[in-house]
Amino acid sequence: MNKLDIAVKRLRILVLDDEPIVCKRLKPTFEKMGHIVETFIDSSSALKRLRETVFDLVITDLKMEGADGMQVLLGAKESSARTQVIVITGFATLETASESLRKGAIDFIAKPFKISDIVACVKRLEKQYCCSQVPEVVPS
Amino acid sequence: MWLNRLWRKKRLRRTGITEINIWRLQALFNNFRRILFLNNAVLEEMTHLERTLGGEFIFDNSFLEASVRTLASRVHHVTYNLNALTGNSYIPLYDSYQRIRTILDDILSGNTRALAAVPVLPLYQVSWELEQLVGVDLVCLAELQHHPGIQAARGFVVTSEGSRTLFRQMISPGAAGKDFTADDVRAGMAEQFRQLLDNRRARRFSVVVTGIDEQVDLVTEIARFFLIPDREKNRIEIVADPPPFEKLPFRVLDRQDPDMDERDRWIDQYVHSLEQIVHFLLSSDPEEEVVDVAERIVIFVRCSPVPAITGSVETRRGGRSITDSLTIIARTPELVDLPDTYRLRRTYPFDILQSILPPRPAGYRFADGRLATSHTVTQSGHGCERGSALLSGKILKSLAETSMTLERVLGMPVTIEWDILEDGSCYITRLYQMQAALDQVAASELAEVEASAAILCQGGQMVQSGVGAGRVVHVSDEMSPAEFPAGAVAVARFASPQLTPVLQRAAAVITEYGTATGHLATVARELRLPALFGVAKACSLLPSGIEVTVHAGESKVYAGVLDILLRKGTGELSFSPFDQEYRTLRRLLRFIMPLSLIDPEAANFSPEGCRTFHDIIHFCHEKAVDELAHFQERRPGLGAIRTSRMQLGVPMDIRVLDIGGGLAADCQANPLPADIRSDPFAAFLEGLLQPGAWADNQPSLGFRDIVSSMPRSMGMLTGPVDALGDNLAIVGNEYVNISLRLGYHFSVVDAHLGSDDSRNYVYFRFAGGLADPERRGRRARFIRDVLKAMDFKVSVKGDLVIGRIKSDQPRILRAALSALGALTAFSRQRDTSLYSDEDADILFRLFAEMFLVQFQHVVSDIYGEWESQAEFSSAATAG
Repeated sequence: MNKLDIAVKRLRILVLDDEPIVCKRLKPTFEKMGHIVETFIDSSSALKRLRETVFDLVITDLKMEGADGMQVLLGAKESSARTQVIVITGFATLETASESLRKGAIDFIAKPFKISDIVACVKRLEKQYCCSQVPEVVPS
Repeated sequence: MWLNRLWRKKRLRRTGITEINIWRLQALFNNFRRILFLNNAVLEEMTHLERTLGGEFIFDNSFLEASVRTLASRVHHVTYNLNALTGNSYIPLYDSYQRIRTILDDILSGNTRALAAVPVLPLYQVSWELEQLVGVDLVCLAELQHHPGIQAARGFVVTSEGSRTLFRQMISPGAAGKDFTADDVRAGMAEQFRQLLDNRRARRFSVVVTGIDEQVDLVTEIARFFLIPDREKNRIEIVADPPPFEKLPFRVLDRQDPDMDERDRWIDQYVHSLEQIVHFLLSSDPEEEVVDVAERIVIFVRCSPVPAITGSVETRRGGRSITDSLTIIARTPELVDLPDTYRLRRTYPFDILQSILPPRPAGYRFADGRLATSHTVTQSGHGCERGSALLSGKILKSLAETSMTLERVLGMPVTIEWDILEDGSCYITRLYQMQAALDQVAASELAEVEASAAILCQGGQMVQSGVGAGRVVHVSDEMSPAEFPAGAVAVARFASPQLTPVLQRAAAVITEYGTATGHLATVARELRLPALFGVAKACSLLPSGIEVTVHAGESKVYAGVLDILLRKGTGELSFSPFDQEYRTLRRLLRFIMPLSLIDPEAANFSPEGCRTFHDIIHFCHEKAVDELAHFQERRPGLGAIRTSRMQLGVPMDIRVLDIGGGLAADCQANPLPADIRSDPFAAFLEGLLQPGAWADNQPSLGFRDIVSSMPRSMGMLTGPVDALGDNLAIVGNEYVNISLRLGYHFSVVDAHLGSDDSRNYVYFRFAGGLADPERRGRRARFIRDVLKAMDFKVSVKGDLVIGRIKSDQPRILRAALSALGALTAFSRQRDTSLYSDEDADILFRLFAEMFLVQFQHVVSDIYGEWESQAEFSSAATAG
C-alpha cells in the first residue's frame, strides 16, 4: 500500500527591513522550514523585485527611507492579489496597526518580537495554502 | 469639633511638639512610593532588555535606543524623587546619572571614546564593553577566567586608543589623547611589565599586534614579535615572528638614566620596544604626519617562556567530515615540521577519534626527559597507550573542552594556539575566528535530520539560544563543580543560583522549574550557554548517561548527538557576538545591570560609587528607606512622624509606619498583628511570633565577647539616641522594609509581594553580634545556610550576610518571609553559643526541623516532593 504524503506548500517569502539583523535572523529560520527566502534592506529594490516575481508572503518593516512599509504593502497586493503581507515595526500604534490591516496585511507584529511568534504566523499561512489546495499524492 | 482642634493645638504647644503638616507628609510618602514604583519598573525593563540577549527575540537598534531612553528617564526620575524626599541631599547623584547616560549614548552611536579611559590594562580586566577597543579575540581570551579548565596566558593589552595616543605624540609631540597622555600610556605599560616580571629583572615576552577595521568590525593579526632580553648587551632584541625578509628598523634605546634601578632600566627598554613597534606599524613613512584614522591597532603582550610543546586547536575544519570533530596539532621546537595531529569528538566526553603521530628519531626524549619508548607511559584511559604521542589523553580533552567553550562564547568556530611549558602547565595564547570556509549545511538537509531525530522533550522557556550536545548529568545544589564532567549537559530540577559553577562547565542546561528572569538565567546568558527552563518532567525524560542535543532556540531536546545541528547551531541560527546588535546590547547592559553597591556601610556606597543604573536605583532605594527610618531625628523641625508601636506579645518592639494600605483603616493606636494588611509584613510576623523562636536559655556573655564587638557596636551606638533599639517597619499593601536592631545585631528585610509576580522579591541583610569574631563568623555561616536552603542568592563578607530571592510563586516568598521572621527571633545572641563549627551545624539542623519544614511543605506542594528529607536538610550545609 502506498503511503499518502501531502506535499507541504513551499512558500516564496520576501523579507524587507532596513536593519540587516532582522533579515539575517529571519532568513535561515524560514529556509529551515523549507521556504525560499529573499531579503532586502531597501524598499526600492524590494518593490522592483515584487514587479518581477510573485511572492506568497512579504514581511516588511514599516518605517524606512524611501518607500515605506505601507507602499510596499500596496505594491505587494498590486503584484498579486494572493500575496500575503505581514507588517513588522518598532513604532507600533493603534493607528498604524489598523491602517495595515485595512490595507490588507494579515498580521501586524511589534518589535521586538519572538522568532517563535512569526514562525507561528508563517505556519498558519502554510496551513491555509495546504487546505486551499488539492493534496498531491506522493507514493513513498 | 473646633473645640477639639483648639484643645489639641494647646496641648501640642505645651509639650513643644509640632504636629506635622499632613500635606508635607503626604508629599514625602508620595516620593517614597514613587521611588519604589519606578525602581520596580526599571528592574523589569532591565530584565527584559537582558533577556533579549538570549536570542529569543528579534530586535534592532531602534529598540535599543528606545529602551535606553525609557530606562534613563525612569532612573532620572528616581534620582529626582530621592532628592525631593531628602531635601536635595544627593545632588552629586545627578552627575553619576549623567556620566552613565553619556556612556550609554556613546555606545549607541558607536563612539568608543567614553570607554577609552584606560589605555593599558591586564588581560583579566578586559570585558565585553571594551570589545571595540581591544577586539573580540582578546575579550574571549579574557572570558576564560570565568571558566574552569585551561586559562589564557598572563598578559596585558594596550588598547587601540592607547596605541593611537602614543603614535600621535611621536609624530606631533604636543598631541594628547582625550582622557590620557602618551606618558600615561607609557606609565601603564611600565606598570604592567613590572607585574609580569614578578621578581625577575627581565624575561621573554610575546607581542601580538592586531588591527580592528572599524568599517567592517573585523579583527586581523598584523604582526608578531618577541621581546628577548640580551643580558650580555643589556638590551632588548625585537624579533619578528616569523622573521621577515627585511631587517626591521628598530633602534636600541641607547640613553638611560644611570641612576635608574636595573629592573627599571629593563622595564624602560621594554616600553621603548613597544613604542617602536607602534611607530613602525602605524607609519609606513616616518615623515608622514597624518594618522590613518581608520587604523586601530591593539597590542597584546604576554609572558612567553620558551615552550616545550606548542600547537593549535581548530574546532572545525573546512570541508566535510563524516564525524564532526575538532583537530589538535602539537609540535616541539626540535620537530616543527613533524607535528602530531589528533582528531577528537566535539562533544563530551571528547573521545579521541584518530591520532597521526610521525616517527620520532631514535632516542627522542620528551620535555620531561622520558624516552619516547619508555615503559612509564601515561594511559589515556580509553585503552590507548600514549606511546610517543606528545600529548596525553587528559591534556587533549582539556584542550578540546576549552576550545569548545571558546567557540560557544564567541558564537563561531575558532582556532586557538596554546603552549605547554616544561613544567607541564598549559596556556591559551591566541584565538582566531575560523578562517576556512565551512561547508554550508543545506536547510533542507537540516530539516530532514531534525524531522527524523527523536524528540525526547520539548517546551519550556528558551533562556539562551544555541545548540549544545553531550551526555546528560543530573545535578543538584550538593554537587561540587569538580564532580560535574566538563562538556556534559546539565539537567536539574530547579534553576537554583547554587548551580552557577556547574554551568561554567556545561555544554547546555535544562531545568524543570525556573524562569527566564531569574539569576541562573542571567548566568546562562552571560556564558552564552544554551538553556531551557521550565521543561516539564525533564529529569525523568532525560535520564543520566544518555546523549542528547539541546536546540534551545526551538525548545527541543533530541536523542543522540546531531552533528549537522551542532554545525549550524553555532552559526546563523543563533544570535552571536558577531552580530553588531548583540555587542551593542552587551555593552549597554554592562553599564545598566551589574550591581556593585551592595553594602550600605561600605565606603563606596555613595553617589560617586554608582557605576551603573542599577547602582543608582539601589542607592536611591536604600537612602529613601533610610530617610524614612531616621525621619524624626533628621527633621526635628518637622515634628513627630506618626509611627505606631505594635502589640506583639514578645520581648521586642516594632514601630510601624504605614505608607499606604499597610494597616487596617480602623486599627488601634497600637496595632495588633491582625491589623496588618501588608502581605509581606504579615508573613514575616507570622514567623517572628512563633513561640519556639524565642528560646530563654541564652548563654551569658563573656568579657572577651563584649570587648571584641565594641568597635562595631560603639560605632552603631553613636547614632541618635532616639533611633537606638527602635525597630521600624515601613509598610505598604505590597511592600515592607524592616530595620531591626535586636540586641547587638542589625538586620534589614526588604520585600515586595504583589499581584505582578515578576516584581516580587525578598532581600535580607544581617550583620553584627556580640561575640568574638569566630563565633560571629559561625553565626553568619548559619544564616547563610538557612538562606541557601531556601534558594536565596547569598554573599558573605565577615559577619555581613546578604541574601536575595526572586520567585514567581508568591507562596514561596511568603514562606521565606515567615522563615526570616523566625530566624530573626531564633538567632538572637546565638553567636555566643557557637563554640565550634559543629555547633553551627547543629543549630542549622535544629532551625531546619523547627522552621524550615513549613517552607519545604510549600515547595513540595508547588513542585512535588523533594527526594528526601535528608536532601533538603543538608542542602545548604554542603554548600
